[in-house]
Amino acid sequence: MSTKNLDIYMPILILLILGVAMVSVTLLIGKLIRPNNPSAVKNQPYECGEDPIGSAWSVFNMRFYVTGLIFIIFDVESALMFPVVAVFKQLNDIGLGGLVFIELFLFILILASGLAYCWRKGDLDWVKSYHTEKGQD
Amino acid sequence: MFDKILFISSALATIVGAVLTISVKNIMHAAVFLLLSLLGVAGLYLTLGADFVAVIQLVVYVGGVVVLMVFAVMLTAGSSGQKANRFGLVKIPTMGNFRTYTIGIVFAALVLMTIIKLYTNVFAMSRLAQIPAYSPTVSKIGISLVGTHVLAFEISSVLLLGALVGAAIVSRPRRENR
Amino acid sequence: MNQTVASYLLQYEPVQQLLAFLSKLLGFNAISLLYFLIFALAILAAVGFLSLVGGLGTYAERKISADMQARIGPNRVGPYGILQFLADGVKMLLKEDIVPTQSDKFLFYVAPMLCIVGVFGTIAVVPFSSGFTIFDFNVGLVYLIGISSLVGLGVFLGGYGSNSKWSMLGGMRGASQIISYEIPVVLSALSIVLLSGGLSFSSLVKAQGGWPHQWFIFHNPFTFVGFFILFIGSLAETNRAPFDLPEAESELVSGYHTEFSGMRFGFFALAEYIEVFVVCGLAAALFLGGYNVPMNLGGDGLIGQVLQLGSFISKTLFLYYMVIVTRWTLPRLRVDQLMTMCWKYLIPISMVNLIMVGLWMVAFDGKSIFDLIFSGASVATGTGH
Repeated sequence: MSTKNLDIYMPILILLILGVAMVSVTLLIGKLIRPNNPSAVKNQPYECGEDPIGSAWSVFNMRFYVTGLIFIIFDVESALMFPVVAVFKQLNDIGLGGLVFIELFLFILILASGLAYCWRKGDLDWVKSYHTEKGQD
Repeated sequence: MFDKILFISSALATIVGAVLTISVKNIMHAAVFLLLSLLGVAGLYLTLGADFVAVIQLVVYVGGVVVLMVFAVMLTAGSSGQKANRFGLVKIPTMGNFRTYTIGIVFAALVLMTIIKLYTNVFAMSRLAQIPAYSPTVSKIGISLVGTHVLAFEISSVLLLGALVGAAIVSRPRRENR
Repeated sequence: MNQTVASYLLQYEPVQQLLAFLSKLLGFNAISLLYFLIFALAILAAVGFLSLVGGLGTYAERKISADMQARIGPNRVGPYGILQFLADGVKMLLKEDIVPTQSDKFLFYVAPMLCIVGVFGTIAVVPFSSGFTIFDFNVGLVYLIGISSLVGLGVFLGGYGSNSKWSMLGGMRGASQIISYEIPVVLSALSIVLLSGGLSFSSLVKAQGGWPHQWFIFHNPFTFVGFFILFIGSLAETNRAPFDLPEAESELVSGYHTEFSGMRFGFFALAEYIEVFVVCGLAAALFLGGYNVPMNLGGDGLIGQVLQLGSFISKTLFLYYMVIVTRWTLPRLRVDQLMTMCWKYLIPISMVNLIMVGLWMVAFDGKSIFDLIFSGASVATGTGH
């Protein structure tokens, strides 16, 4: 056996390939047994029976992007917290639990203050007024 | 045997994904191939025994960065109103002509030569070394993050705070003067 | 350590004999091949079981909702209508595959595939029982969170690729909902990792016991709240009501999967129902004791494995039932209420939970509230030391 023994990762690869294969094969089989009568009406986007008006782009959806930005910061934060939290119990048994807790608490506090800042400045509001009043901000 | 299969499939995913990302005309398709490339990189981390880094790659890159890029593509491509091809932007004329390719190849060759020069010594030494047996990496990373590298841990949270505030400020709309 | 179903089965005589036979037949050490065969069989069994659960989930939903609305629900196909999901599957396969002209064919192909691949990838680490977990990854929790974010990407690309106003809106809302609610789910799971000391599902489950007072949900009041945060966040992650605005049957026609017909829609639906099972399994493993059997009946042998499997599946199906009942009870949340609830309520509460569970660990040395009461009672009555 090799020193690394990567055989344990086999199920992940098998499952991913199985997912791709299942979708592809099913769609292929479907292509053979399905009826295929395209018409101009059927190929229009569905708009409750009316003819579609206008392009698909409507409002400028900035709030989705702001949500994504704030999300990625918290995602990286949680990624950094995973190893610390995983060793917390074994360090607590030695007696260093208080120290690790203080470090974790500081970490979360700094990021919670970031969240509080975004909250206060209205970045978390979905229905935001884009016109700030005079004197604010 | 399976480590070869894992390595080859991950490397194939990475390379094919990367090549397709830069050559496909539609930006959204390029984002999908970037996803494939990042999945391949996660597989490569697994072959090296870095299991925690591989899953963090999944969480942060695949689950965060690609989603953010897709949002960004949607925001910029949609509001411009120009639709040369159905979903992508107007093909920018300075992309993909002879001048850009030569500049790109020259710089790539420079960077490659630098890297090779730096790493020849490392390769010479490690060719004879045995790759150590698998051992779980999470507890080692965790202990070092609260032990010897605790300053890096805390400063990274300050860095994240800076990124958060910066992103919030940059994406805020301009103040309207009434 | 990483244990897999193959390494568990290799403890048994017949499997070892099979290995010896294969090695003699092929001339080299056939352990990788045997691993592959066992994994392939286990994966086929798991995927088949979960697809069955997904299909029966649609049937169960229709029957339970019918019950709640004082009507009968499907009862024609098979006894009590139980084969309805097969009829639906055949129907979806035979329907014409309409791909609208201005939609993106590549994204139409990739979006359902991303949803299915994201959900199938999670099957590898679901803790069915101590021996039958297909791959007990030692960072299994992080892996599950990472690979299920592919589903969010599939939702968004499905909406975007349709190039229709309603699908686009549904897709964007769906993706931002999924990524937003990932954070309280992760923070709640982190508070459990604090208590159990490892990221692998086997360590998370083994830190609990079989009896309800040994489950993490009753460990301290903060994990109790954490369970509900995880449950709500998981409802939002899977686009289930009351968070089903991306599908929004009464508003956006069908949201991000309006334009997908036939089997492509079938893949979205199958992925959603399997994902509900997986996240209910996650909640059961983290908070409800997972596959632990009271008094550890049966030990680790085959009978014990079957009992553990039964324990895990019954807990998961109970949570599945709660998910279905929640859908037909609560009205849909508006999109700004949804986002407000995530960022202004769930995330601060789960951050406070994390800190408090850490404090509890340090102060009480990781003992649950029942341990403290019982040891306090024994000291008070003079029988303790």
